[in-house]
Amino acid sequence: MFEYLLQGILATFQMDVFPFLLAGVTGGIAIGALPGLTATMGVAIMLPFTFGMGAGASLAMLIGVYVGAIYGGSIPAILLRTPGTPASAATAIDGHELVKQGYATKALSISVICSFLGGLVSTIMLITVSPMLANFALRFSAPEYFTLALFGLTIIASISAKSMTKGLIGGFLGLIVACIGLDPITSTPRYTFGVMELYNGLSIIPVLIGLFAISECLLQAEQLNLGAGNAIKKFSHSFVSRKEFREFLPSGLKSSLMGTLIGSVPGAGADIAAFVCYNEARRSSKKPETFGKGSLEGIAAAEAGNNGVTGGALVPLLTLGVPGDAVAAVLLGALTIQGLSPGPMLFQNSPDVVYGVFSSMLIANFLMLIVGLLGIKLFCRIVEVPKVLIVPMIAMLAVVGAYSMNNSMFDVGVALGFGFLGYLLTKCEIPLSPIVLAIILGPMAETNLRKSLMMYEGSWSFLYERPIVVVFIALAALSIYSTWRIKKKVNASEQEQAAAA
Amino acid sequence: MKKSLKAIAGVVALSLGSSLAMAADYPARNIRMIVPFGAGGGTDSVARALAEYTEPHLGQPIAIMNRTGGAGAVGMTAGANSRADGYTITMITREIVSLPKLGLMQVDSEAFKMVRLVNFDPALVTVKADSPYKTMGDIIEKAKANPGSVKFASTAKPNFYALAIERNQDVTFNQIPFNGAAEASTAVMGGHVEFTITGPGEVKSQVESGQLRPLAVMAEKRLASMPEVPTMKELGFDVVSGTWRGIAVPKKTPDEIVAKLESAIGKAVADKDFVAFMEKGNFFIEDKSAAEFTKFIGEDTKSLMPIIEKL
Repeated sequence: MFEYLLQGILATFQMDVFPFLLAGVTGGIAIGALPGLTATMGVAIMLPFTFGMGAGASLAMLIGVYVGAIYGGSIPAILLRTPGTPASAATAIDGHELVKQGYATKALSISVICSFLGGLVSTIMLITVSPMLANFALRFSAPEYFTLALFGLTIIASISAKSMTKGLIGGFLGLIVACIGLDPITSTPRYTFGVMELYNGLSIIPVLIGLFAISECLLQAEQLNLGAGNAIKKFSHSFVSRKEFREFLPSGLKSSLMGTLIGSVPGAGADIAAFVCYNEARRSSKKPETFGKGSLEGIAAAEAGNNGVTGGALVPLLTLGVPGDAVAAVLLGALTIQGLSPGPMLFQNSPDVVYGVFSSMLIANFLMLIVGLLGIKLFCRIVEVPKVLIVPMIAMLAVVGAYSMNNSMFDVGVALGFGFLGYLLTKCEIPLSPIVLAIILGPMAETNLRKSLMMYEGSWSFLYERPIVVVFIALAALSIYSTWRIKKKVNASEQEQAAAA
Repeated sequence: MKKSLKAIAGVVALSLGSSLAMAADYPARNIRMIVPFGAGGGTDSVARALAEYTEPHLGQPIAIMNRTGGAGAVGMTAGANSRADGYTITMITREIVSLPKLGLMQVDSEAFKMVRLVNFDPALVTVKADSPYKTMGDIIEKAKANPGSVKFASTAKPNFYALAIERNQDVTFNQIPFNGAAEASTAVMGGHVEFTITGPGEVKSQVESGQLRPLAVMAEKRLASMPEVPTMKELGFDVVSGTWRGIAVPKKTPDEIVAKLESAIGKAVADKDFVAFMEKGNFFIEDKSAAEFTKFIGEDTKSLMPIIEKL
């Protein structure tokens, strides 16, 4: 195995592969950073360009784009509170808070370090234990997916620590939005009002762009009109300290592992992993009350979690011949076009390709770390650009991004509508993240609950008969309990302060 | 005379407005192909390969857009309602015939102009490698003894492969819908569902690696690539079924554009690399021109009607 891997690494450093990998990583970061362009789109866009290349270069480039784009999304999420991809929506929660406090460099460096960590851990797991991961993935069926989504949804409670009611309003709003479209089991139209564009439900990208980017633009524009907020912010250039590193490393490592597991399960991607890891980090944190207020652990968990998916998603592709997420599906297409049939036979028939994929993943993560660290200074300049210039630019990028997803003006309308909605909700202090979370996890929960009931012929026994399901339910319960405990703690300390004053 | 003819032609062209001019320089930009099933499934694989080999003949890239949901209804409806300018083409499947008859889709094959049929795959019944079911007969027997007890991973609902068996043998399966063959076959490999029926190409790598075991093929004769697998007919179940895939465009698309697409796709289907891809993937080429394709859909509608009426 090591001999093959070494050969793979040497082959990846050859001139006919390495430049493509580097271009893929760099291009991927840019694609991820632009709102509206996701990792899936990036890989799909690059796919036709790889037809003429050899299998090695082609896969290296696509893998580079994948790894880069999942990380790239966190840059605008942190700096502008505008997630570049849905996978970074969880990063925005704490990342942008940290920027507001003046620690842009710190937030970005945690993000790139933990993205690297997640990618590295998941690649190592892909190389060493992928058959075991595949067995784990095969144990996932509708009940497991349902409870995974349920556990993810309990995060609504934690991101809305200020007011549970307001958080729940956001969550339910998201669930209602998620109901739009054809019923996933019986194909009955719901809330479509005969509008064709609504049959497939609202796409997550324009909704995300509207809620975060456009609403942020409106808020900033309002501030500018009031004459405030035009001052150029000063921010600290300090990277993470060794002490801070030790503080977020455990949650980064745990999230890397969790991200890999979630990635290896077909049908659950980086967006879900980021939220679930964030939730788990908050549940197990020593300082859960800092989550949502610029917690380093929060950024670390979300970023290690979403990049942890990258290696995991290739597990079912290489071991079972089925894609682990939408990006892996495009990679499957790339393999097929190269005349290779993905699946366990690939290890026997073309080990060079398999180890080429492994080594490309490894090196892509190192390249991402280098490019990301070198880029931080440059990225941070965005914060120094005067608001009058940056706000219209974000607005323009947001509209283009919403359009580019499906080349549809309807989506632009959706983005603008959700922009105004996001503005109003922020004015009412209703948090926006629960809406996105519910839109991502709601359909997963619904479809799989109904599938489970069909599989168990109407019986609810799947809730206690399956070990993984029980674990997820326990985690969900713990998550709600810890929210309640944190709230009590916060209330107590507030009362103490009040008493002292 | 010639001049006046030209003038008339010019006026006509002008009056026809942009549509003719559009047809003349078609395709001027990239084309989207809507695939109504999930990425990684059989329809998706055929679509991606077809797009790749059609591109050089059209001189424009073809981007694949997977629009899943509603057993293909979402993608195909979106395709039928897209702009009739040839820049959105749709890979349609047998569901275009069945879903509207079931009231699960507002548009039907009448909303499309057929461009070309490229593929017909007989259906293949597979179980997990260590499944207790050794033959198709075992499944039928269990389902007869205990209606609804055998869990079937459906790649689309309603599933006409399963329905054909159910009607023919008077049994009922517990049909659980999945988004395409990749998800359905994963559920079978994981042992959560007992069997699935897919195209042979959709489970090829899993059958080769021994994770899935084929029980029967729903074709008239055995497959050349899986000669050991008996047909349903040999086993005494008179059921033949399969799916087909072709390209269609919205009804109002100008004929010139359809003709260009038809010829480009025809060349792609004849391309020896495409043929090799289809053979490798266990997909079966069935090349029919636009006219033949339209006739074929009419016939398929007739063959499905008895099953649908019994529902």
